[in-house]
Amino acid sequence: MGMTYAIVAQAVGKRYSRYHNNRPRTMMEAALAGYRRMRPIEQFWALRQVGFAVRPGQMLGVIGHNGAGKSTLLQILSGVVCPDEGRVQVHGRMGALLDLGASFHPDLTGRENVFVSAIVSGLTHREVQQRFDQIVEFAELSAFIDNPVRTYSTGMQMRLAFAVAIHNDPDILLVDEFLSVGDVAFQSKCLTRIGELKSQGCAVVLISHNVEQMQQLCDQALWLEDGRVREYGDPNPIASQFMALMSTQNATQAFHDYSRQVEVRTVRLWDRHGHPMTEICSGDPITIELEYCAHQPMQNVIFSISISDQAGQIYFNTNTATPGLTIPLDRGNGQIKLHLDRLDLRGGSYYANAGIFAEDWSTTYDYHWHTYPFQIQWTPNEQTLLYPPRSWEIRTSDSIVNVELT
Amino acid sequence: MYLHTPHSAFFQKRQLIYYRDLIRELVVRDLKLLYKRSMLGVAWTLINPLLQLAVFAFVFQSILRVNVPQYASFAFSGLLVWNWTQSSLFQATGLITSNRALIRQPGFPIAVLPIVIVITGLIHFLLALPVLLMFLVWDGASLNLNFLFLPLLLLLQSLLTIGFAYPLAALNVVFRDTQHTLGVILQLMFYLLPIFYTLEQVPDTLRGVYQLNPMVALLEAYRAILIRGVNPNGFALLMLVLVIAGLLPIGYRIFKRQSQRFVEEI
Repeated sequence: MGMTYAIVAQAVGKRYSRYHNNRPRTMMEAALAGYRRMRPIEQFWALRQVGFAVRPGQMLGVIGHNGAGKSTLLQILSGVVCPDEGRVQVHGRMGALLDLGASFHPDLTGRENVFVSAIVSGLTHREVQQRFDQIVEFAELSAFIDNPVRTYSTGMQMRLAFAVAIHNDPDILLVDEFLSVGDVAFQSKCLTRIGELKSQGCAVVLISHNVEQMQQLCDQALWLEDGRVREYGDPNPIASQFMALMSTQNATQAFHDYSRQVEVRTVRLWDRHGHPMTEICSGDPITIELEYCAHQPMQNVIFSISISDQAGQIYFNTNTATPGLTIPLDRGNGQIKLHLDRLDLRGGSYYANAGIFAEDWSTTYDYHWHTYPFQIQWTPNEQTLLYPPRSWEIRTSDSIVNVELT
Repeated sequence: MYLHTPHSAFFQKRQLIYYRDLIRELVVRDLKLLYKRSMLGVAWTLINPLLQLAVFAFVFQSILRVNVPQYASFAFSGLLVWNWTQSSLFQATGLITSNRALIRQPGFPIAVLPIVIVITGLIHFLLALPVLLMFLVWDGASLNLNFLFLPLLLLLQSLLTIGFAYPLAALNVVFRDTQHTLGVILQLMFYLLPIFYTLEQVPDTLRGVYQLNPMVALLEAYRAILIRGVNPNGFALLMLVLVIAGLLPIGYRIFKRQSQRFVEEI
């Protein structure tokens, strides 16, 4: 393995053990309980067969649900936790934005804490002295640097911690969801600084819940699911797949939580002739009918209808509260129809979604998401999302040409 | 397997400077915190042995009438030496739980923590040394060139303490009552060491057992050079060096091996 990579992970696995609930925690108990209880009752792999490589100057974004193993992976890369199988090779000085500010001591001044935590992060005393002014300036704390850290706000502590962590000239930077700290201006400053480090050849591994941000910043993406690699490669397709999965999962998870005083029985789609519809042309009218069943009388409810694509992007969304409709319901079934004169979306697969809400939106009675598919046909070879009625008007010196298109 | 190659060209030399700076910074931090937390600060490190000394002097000279010449110097030297080892071992045993942030820092050499604790204790010892010297002068102890053995003894005691600290810190990760148990053992050890009585007062049959304790060799050596102004017992010191040479690498290995699990356990 050459030095062309800053980080190489090959078939990395980490196994954790669950112990007996009353595993002895003291020598006295161990003596009484014997060796049997010391052994784990169950083992599970927090990570398995995870492999990737990051070159200097590249950024790898790690996405995945909570518990997918993202933080474990970062701990393994940082060397704090040892992998149980596979191989991790890391070249260069390590910088980490994990546990920001945890090593600060409240009774020490900002200045003293900068020295302690910068030296702990790998700089010599002389190197800290050289960078000290830069660090304080970056943190925007010059006026407070000789006050005890306990007098700092959380934001100030985070700024100082970040400034220290980012100034040890790392060859490898591990970032765990840091952008949840600090104000927006400081966050963008941090991103700029990370970008600088990257252009100087620092390899960055970033955990992010913000998929769009990962898409913008990263050269590669790693999608972890239950400790395995689900996708690894170009961030753009991975990000859209991940977002699509997130939205459908959110919808199905939430499905069971609805109170169901009023239910969506079904949703039907009609074309211009009143026939059931599964496919229309771009620009055709469409009628969306929602059949509901009220299990108890209601003073007022809100019906909501939306159209989204497979990735979960909502293109159209409307509800009965916007025109100020009051819709009292008696017990029993009923229908409500939404007529759209045109649907000018470009071709593709879409879903009609329908929901019923309390009049103050506080309760979702029922919601059907990605249940009713339909197609829109498409012919023009144009990169567009919308295709409304349009006309061109062309004026030359001697004539006016109007071209109307439908 | 985890391989980390920090590829700086001046790696070796820089790394040595780094370890020096790191240890110094952490020691200074501990001392600063001690100063800041109390008005008396470092004076506390003196008050404790002085109060102990006052009680011993009263009990063993006025009530029990133990006949030990230069008793103040004798007992005070013993107290300083033992307090250093005792407090260092106790703190080092709990280091995993009291230094979570440092242990989670990538690339942080956890093995320096026991060294930091022992060096902090050494500095307290050195701060108390002038008071001990006053007692020595007052008691008319024969201070001479043998005093120059002091750095050697301080080094040996540091290494011995670190050698015990490593396995104890590792054990405390598995069994959380290690520190409490150790506290009791150390307290009992205080009475089983010739701190406020002399080795000669120990019955002949038990003296051999006493001498198996490496701390006894250290205490005797300190008193030889400080109070009696004679060479320390060369054989005892050689045995001590051998004990350290065996203990330190084994203790370090245990610590190193266990340290991979520290983050998972805390």
